[in-house]
Amino acid sequence: MRRIGIILSGWLCLLAFTAGAAHTQVRLILSADTARPGDTVLVGVDLKMEPGWHTYWKNPGDAGIATKIEWQLPPGVIAGKILWPLPEKLPPVEVTTYGYNDEVILLVSLTLATNLPAGPLDLKAGVSWLECKEQCVPGSGSVEATLNVGAEPKPSADAALLESWNKQVPFTMADSAADHAWWEGPAGGDTRTVVIGHLLPKTTNVIKFDYIKYDSADFFPAANDHFEIQGTTKIISLFPSDIRLRKVVKKFDGDWPREITGVMVWQRGNWRAGNEARLTVTDQAPADAGAVEMNLAPKPSASRLSPQLLWQMLLYAFIGGLILNIMPCVLPVIALKILGFVGESRNDPDRVRRLGLVYALGVLVSFLALAEIVIDVKAAGQKAGWGMQFGSPIFVVCLTTLVTLVALNLFGVFEVGLGGRALNVAGGLASRPGAAGAFFNGVLATALATPCTAPFLSIALGFAFAQSASIIIMLFLAVGFGLAAPYVVLSWNPIWLRFLPKPGAWMEKFKIAMGFPMLATALWLFNLAAGSYGRQVLWFGLFLVMVAFAAWIYGEFFQRGRRLRFIPLIIALLLLAGSYRFMLENQLHWREPVSETEPAGSLRESANGIDWQRWSLEAVASARSEGRPVIVDFTADWCLTCQVNKKTSIEIPSVRAKLKAMNAVALIGDYTRFPTNITEELNRFNRAGVPLVVVYPKKADADPLVLPEILTPGIVLEALDLAEH
Amino acid sequence: MKKMFLLTAVVALALAVQAVEVGKPAPDFTATDINGKTVKLSDYKGRIVVLESYNSDCPFCNNQYRTGAMQELEGQMAAKGVVWLIVNSVNPNNASHRTPDQAKKEMADKKIVATAWIDDSSGAVGHLYDMKTTPHMFVVSKDGTLVYDGAIDNQPDPQHDPRTAHNYVSEAVDALLAGKPVPVAQTKPYGCGVKYAN
Repeated sequence: MRRIGIILSGWLCLLAFTAGAAHTQVRLILSADTARPGDTVLVGVDLKMEPGWHTYWKNPGDAGIATKIEWQLPPGVIAGKILWPLPEKLPPVEVTTYGYNDEVILLVSLTLATNLPAGPLDLKAGVSWLECKEQCVPGSGSVEATLNVGAEPKPSADAALLESWNKQVPFTMADSAADHAWWEGPAGGDTRTVVIGHLLPKTTNVIKFDYIKYDSADFFPAANDHFEIQGTTKIISLFPSDIRLRKVVKKFDGDWPREITGVMVWQRGNWRAGNEARLTVTDQAPADAGAVEMNLAPKPSASRLSPQLLWQMLLYAFIGGLILNIMPCVLPVIALKILGFVGESRNDPDRVRRLGLVYALGVLVSFLALAEIVIDVKAAGQKAGWGMQFGSPIFVVCLTTLVTLVALNLFGVFEVGLGGRALNVAGGLASRPGAAGAFFNGVLATALATPCTAPFLSIALGFAFAQSASIIIMLFLAVGFGLAAPYVVLSWNPIWLRFLPKPGAWMEKFKIAMGFPMLATALWLFNLAAGSYGRQVLWFGLFLVMVAFAAWIYGEFFQRGRRLRFIPLIIALLLLAGSYRFMLENQLHWREPVSETEPAGSLRESANGIDWQRWSLEAVASARSEGRPVIVDFTADWCLTCQVNKKTSIEIPSVRAKLKAMNAVALIGDYTRFPTNITEELNRFNRAGVPLVVVYPKKADADPLVLPEILTPGIVLEALDLAEH
Repeated sequence: MKKMFLLTAVVALALAVQAVEVGKPAPDFTATDINGKTVKLSDYKGRIVVLESYNSDCPFCNNQYRTGAMQELEGQMAAKGVVWLIVNSVNPNNASHRTPDQAKKEMADKKIVATAWIDDSSGAVGHLYDMKTTPHMFVVSKDGTLVYDGAIDNQPDPQHDPRTAHNYVSEAVDALLAGKPVPVAQTKPYGCGVKYAN
């Protein structure tokens, strides 16, 4: 009775299994209808699972079982081993498995003997698998297909399908030497942590690879009887040149493995690929892999910062700041400053010291503000550049007006702040304006210093822009200290002031003389504004004249006037307001510069140069719809990196030839004046500024390739290669 | 209430700290069997204990039972004084879940001769022992040391006759009884994944 019961339940189970196996359909497909003797024919066992059901990979993981194929082949046909497409990692976490949802085609190469006679060949196989959803059911089925042997090879209708699955089989990478594995420490019982890495040697040009930073990476281990690499993966680093994954190895018996095999998996968006990896496990990380965990995502290209280098750079920044004092754009402010000191020297030393410090404070606060801007801009992804604010016409207009006023002030047209007051109102009168004036002088000195990249400073700043926020602040403050230092020192040791000439009539002449370099600065700024407003800039010039006129009325009749002083004040203010309204607002539209209609057609720089067209979203779309690859260079006149990129890596013979050969469309997006449509496009690429070079592949639905900020010819050519296929 | 909270915390901590590892003390647990009886591992000190992660709907488990091989093994073990604890960690939402009544019936129908069938639908014992598959086997020596962790045998195939396979559990128990070291102390368990609650 008991036996019968067991047998019966056994039968029932078998019946249940046969019925249940209908969750997966299986068939055999061939890539060829007819093949020649000696050929290798790719065939596939196609498993189609019902929704929710899955079958397993060659290493099923914690549970499950790999699908098996048992061939029954005629003589002269030899089956290779199964080529497994990249599987998925299946939940739950505590029982991680590797398998396939919906459908998988397991590929096998059949090799035909050279002496096979012509005629049909019956290919048969028994396929068995385990299919699981909520429950697991073993399934099996026999499959068969007929292959003709003949003289004329003929691909089958399934050839393309098989080829598409063949592409999903993990490949062997050319740079598999970059694959490493090392123990992170001694074993803790029967488990031990291993780091699996794909690390390019530091000597190679790693930037090249990093424009395709992965979204995710993983390691699918091969099955092993002596140990298992557990399912959980901790990602340490995701740069293509530096991928590191932390895995736990559990040992069943024997020694800790010296070699682990499996598949490195990387993913970016919907794209996923794997490569076969055979890794020797070492006790220590490879020497050139560095000891730092790179999960903070630093640019591998960033120079590693030694304290010595930092000190050196801080020193350069300080010296650079010192030198800024004698640059033409700052010198006039210094004139103000010196006069200030001369004026103040008669006062008590404490006050002089205090004003020196206030001036320094003005400088430092301004530099801090600049550092803050650089950090923000950098954080937003823009390649910050020294003087980039000059790309903003609004900034240029304000600064030009300010500098013009300073020049007029030096000429004595009107009085303001420290210098003039010190001359006119001798002695202990000025107290509050003195402090405010000193602070303002500090700010002005900084504002004027920015376009002047002094020697030394360029090195330090170039270095600063690539560093972390705290180092940027340190470097900017060092420049500020350099700029402010002479005055602080002078004010701290009033004895040194004795070396300055005694105040007198010469001061008035010196002041006026200093007005001329200031006027030259204003002219240079005006020229920058002309770039933004075109011929309309005339209105800005007229506005400046009106400002000068108003300043004269203010100085002559309000400041120096004796009676009815409010009348000239009102006239000056009305003049200012009126000319602002009419000239800047109505005529110039100064806040929204209407750039002159940009010429259509080629922006070719030389006869054989790249045939650049102006960028627009429509231009990209229309080129792509024609099936042409597109390269877009978002650039700006004030962006030094952009110009360097263009010179070294874009407008060069090899790239020109390549673009021509590919029939590519080349588009330039000029970001010099921050047009909104380009800002939006940059944001779409998660960038806040230029440089940005994007290559759109020929295939219209393929994702664009975003190139790194610093280009080499190799990067550009490689991207173009990718775009072609 | 406060005391209870403290106790829970201590238990949780103890569970978290104890890792299942061959050669170390087997983590103790208190659970309820399908008859409502409390089962405490440490109560069996002085006897060899076998833990079996169980789900008879899983073809690998089923293969052991439909062929009668597992029942035979359980019988032999019982004769040698070995405690056999079935641990069913299938969550209540899974079709393979068994209520205590269904489990009692299944135990009777299949002639299972285990000491107890632990209702572990919460997954507590399963997770404590990091049970991966059904079947996943554990052997605990008389002094409470975990001496085997892994597969039932060396044939990860739901259709073979288990009697022809090399059975690691009986091997381990026999070695213990003979006072010899367990030849194979750890293997990779095979089978279906344990159907834990998500």
